[in-house]
This record gives sequence, structure tokens and C-alpha cells, in this order.
Amino acid sequence: MAAFIATYGFLIVSMVLAAILALSLYLPLMAGQLSLASPGFYAMGGYIGAILATKVFTGAGGLYPVKWVLVEMAAAGLASGLLAVVVGVPALRLRGIFLAFATIAFVEILRVLSLNLDITGGAIGIFGIPQPFATQFGYMWIAAPLLIVSMAFVYRLERIRVGRAFIAIREDELAADAMGVNPTRYKVLAFALSAVLAGVAGALSAHFYNTWNSRQGTFDLGVSLMAFVLIGGSRTFLGPVVGGLALTALPEVLRSVADIGGLPGWLAQFLRDGRLIIYGLLIAVGTVFFPHGLITPAFLTRRSHRAQSTSSGGQTS
Amino acid sequence: MTRAEAGNGCLAVETMTCRFGGLVAVNEVSFSVQEGEIFGLIGPNGAGKTTLFNLITGLTPPTGGRLRYRGRDITNLPPHRVAAAGIARTFQNIRLFGDLSALDNVMIARHARTRSGVFAGVFGMAGAPDEERATRRRALELLELVGLADRAHEGARGFPYGDQRRLEIARALALEPDLLLLDEPAAGMNPNEKRGLSDLIRAVRSQFDLTVVLIEHNVPLVMGLCDRVAVLDFGQLIALGDPTEVQNDPAVIEAYLGD
Repeated sequence: MAAFIATYGFLIVSMVLAAILALSLYLPLMAGQLSLASPGFYAMGGYIGAILATKVFTGAGGLYPVKWVLVEMAAAGLASGLLAVVVGVPALRLRGIFLAFATIAFVEILRVLSLNLDITGGAIGIFGIPQPFATQFGYMWIAAPLLIVSMAFVYRLERIRVGRAFIAIREDELAADAMGVNPTRYKVLAFALSAVLAGVAGALSAHFYNTWNSRQGTFDLGVSLMAFVLIGGSRTFLGPVVGGLALTALPEVLRSVADIGGLPGWLAQFLRDGRLIIYGLLIAVGTVFFPHGLITPAFLTRRSHRAQSTSSGGQTS
Repeated sequence: MTRAEAGNGCLAVETMTCRFGGLVAVNEVSFSVQEGEIFGLIGPNGAGKTTLFNLITGLTPPTGGRLRYRGRDITNLPPHRVAAAGIARTFQNIRLFGDLSALDNVMIARHARTRSGVFAGVFGMAGAPDEERATRRRALELLELVGLADRAHEGARGFPYGDQRRLEIARALALEPDLLLLDEPAAGMNPNEKRGLSDLIRAVRSQFDLTVVLIEHNVPLVMGLCDRVAVLDFGQLIALGDPTEVQNDPAVIEAYLGD
């Protein structure tokens, strides 16, 4: 077990962070908005964490106090949420692919800013970010609860008034509007919740990766997150979580498979080096055969449906 | 002296005009709908009936004219504010949330009549769970009313046409409207269902104290149900009065049969 954790600790935390970020992309999607802005808020959250840890909360010997990490995460979440409202009000007037483009531009603006500002360390970025844990697996003390809380949050959200408003906008914005749901308000809310989650994850990631620069949280991350959501499933919160966990683990799994003896040399080589090809194939095949992803509400409700109808029957009688 | 002049108007449409480029879809149409009446809006295809509904509900911005709802100017309100003010509608080309259950469809329309925000809802504070239960109970009652309670958990897309129309009515009623706009509620229904629909519309009017405006092509339904009928042709109001009066109006006969 200890050996396993030592070997795979980094991977496991990466998987959890990926799942959190995939949830962040899922939130606007719940309201039907394809936003690729999450990496931008993730990058900004990372810089906020990195700057606070290296320039403000200094002076502690030994391990960096966990409570300060939490303060950084809160600050990053707050700043991301506020920026999301400011950016979201004009940007969410755009629909569909135009919103996606605008959010890509937003990510790019933040990247260029971070590359040129002094406070973000320019091209070098910020390095030597202090470590709150002795091992990388230690980050699970924060990452795992954060994932569980986010999952619980979105799970609840899908079942309450505000979440229903999101879903109504996704299904038919015009009909939702005519039924009394203010589309702009709930799109901005979904966008802001997404930004808070990405910002919080960014602040934690800055410590986890020990260094933060303009290569973190770029358009490439947006594409990966979209793949997590599309393959995992875009109609229930479990989809992005499973997608983020599984696809982040996939390269390591493939490597292990390749290491099993007896495989033909070319196949082992392909499994080791053809990761991107396999990834791309999965997206292509997935969108054809599982257009709503692997985990769909229909897949989940097949069992829970009976429980739901009996409980509602109890309420009416 | 009409009842509108006596201050009993529910909805007043004042010289409403809507142009799409060179096409005048609705041309200076004025009429008022009285509290509690069932008001029919008829006319040949392309007469501007649905456009008029879209103007009233804020989905289409008007080119000119004014809308007053219970004395309040609602001319340029966005659709959700019109809905919150108490005007609910159904759609000619059914616009249910197809992937969602019948129950969810109706629960969504309780939005404007409920309050709880994101954190109260997620953490189950400040009365949010009670509100959720009430929303669910109310939605089930409305499904019961339109005869769909036993299929509350089925996806709306899978419903037969007539059931989808009744589900739309249940969804509109969830908004607790004072004014209900029905856009061709009988389209696609069989004669049996159409009779049931007349009864349903009368029943909900008296149960919820509604004023109803409906667009309908089915003449027997309109004649049997409506207190007054307005006729549109090429965007213009060509007749207004009680059903038999309108039926014998030469302008109406010409609009339908041509010259």
C-alpha cells in the first residue's frame, strides 16, 4: 500500500483535481452554456494561491500551514466568482459556439497577461511554492473533501429550484423564459459557480505542482476538460467526475498494460506512446455511440426510478 | 358601453404593430379582454395570431403599440417578467422540456412563485425543503387535473400529441396565471379529446378564476367555448364580437373563403 501510494500518489491527486475541474466545466453546461473559461479561472486561482503563499503568508518554518492554503483557496474562489459575474454578464449574451469562442479569448487574455505582468513572474512564473504536506499524496486531505463537497453540491443542485431553472434553460431557453425563468440571471449564476470551483482548484494546484506559470490553465486544458465531460457524460454530475478520473488515469493504465509480458512489441509500443491517438479515438467513437456520454440519467434512473415513484406516491396519499 | 370602459379590462391591446422587414405581421390591432372571459382569436393561416401571442408574452418585441395588463404597462417587459406578472401560455409547436419528466416540466414553471436561492436550496435551509415539497405536491395536483398523474415520471417526449398539449396546460397553470394564453390547444387531438379539452378549459377557468385567450381553428370548439371572438386577417383585426355575430360577418366569410 505504501509503495502504491508512493508510486501513484501524484496520479491519484491529479485524477481528483481533473474531476473537480470537469465539474467546473459541467456547471455552465447544466444551463446549456458551452463555456471554456474554467482554465482561465483555474490559472487565476493558481496565481492568487502562488502569490499569497510566496509573498504574503511567509515566515513559517517547516511545512506550510494547511489553514493558509484554505484561506488562499477561499480568496481565489471569491476573486474568480466576482470576475465571472463581471465577464459573464456581457459574454453570456452570446450563444453556442460564439460563447465558446469568447471564453477561449478570455483564457487567452489571462494567459498573455500572466506572461507579461511582474506580479505573476512573467515567462518564468512563480516557483518554490511552499508545501503543506510531506508527500504529494498528502494533498488528498484537501483534494478529496473538495471533490466530495463539490459532488454533493452539484448533486443537490440538480434536484432543487435553481438547478431546475438551469436545466430548463438547457432544454429550451425560450420556453424557460416564458415560464418565468430569467435566463441571463441563471446563466451568470452557473458561470460564477463554475468559476469559483475552478479558482479554488487552481489555488490548491499551485501548491501541488510547486510551480505556477502561464502554461497552466490554457486552452489545451479546456479541450481536455471538454473530453472528460463529453466522454463521461454531460447530463448528470457523475459523468464529468467519472470522465475526469478515468481519462486522467488512462495513460498510466495503458502503460501498465503495455508492461504485461507477452504482448507483441508493436502493441506494447503503441499502448505506451500512442496515448494521444487512443484519446482521440475515444472521443470520436464516444461521440458516435454515446452522444450523451457513458453515464447518462437514463443509465442511472433505470434503478432509482422505482424508488422515486414509490416515494412520491407516499407523498400524495 | 363595454365592460372595458367600466374598468373591467384584464388585457388591453392598443394599436399593436409588428413588422418583420417589409412584412407587417400584426397591423395596429386593438382590443381588450375582460376579466373572466374566454376570448377566441381566429383567422386564416399567417393572419398574425401566434405573432400576437408572442408580442403579448414578450417573446417578440413590438414595432409599435402598447400592452396593458390590469392597468399596468407590460409593453417591453422580458418574457419571464410577463410570466411573473401572471400571464402564462402554451405553444402552437409544443415546447415542452422533452428530455425531462412530466413532473419536472410542471415543477419548473413554479419558479416564479417560489423563492429559495442556490445556497438555501443546496444546504436545505430557510424553508427550502418545505418549498420543494410544496412545489412537488402542487405539480402532482396539476398533473392529476389534466389526467396525467399516473405518468408523472415519464419523459414528456414520449407522450402522445394530445397528452403533450394537456401537459403544456398543466405547466402553464403551475405559474398561477390570471391570464392563460392557449395557442391551438386542440391541434392534433381526436374528437373525443377535443370535447374533453373544452370541459378542461371551462373547469380550469372557474377553478383558478382565469381569463383565457385561445387561438383555435376548430370552429365548433371556438363557437361552443368562447364568450367573444376576434378575427385577424393579414395582421388586421377584421371582426370582434360574440361567436354567432362573427360567424355571419361578411368580412370574416370573405377572409376564409376568398372572393
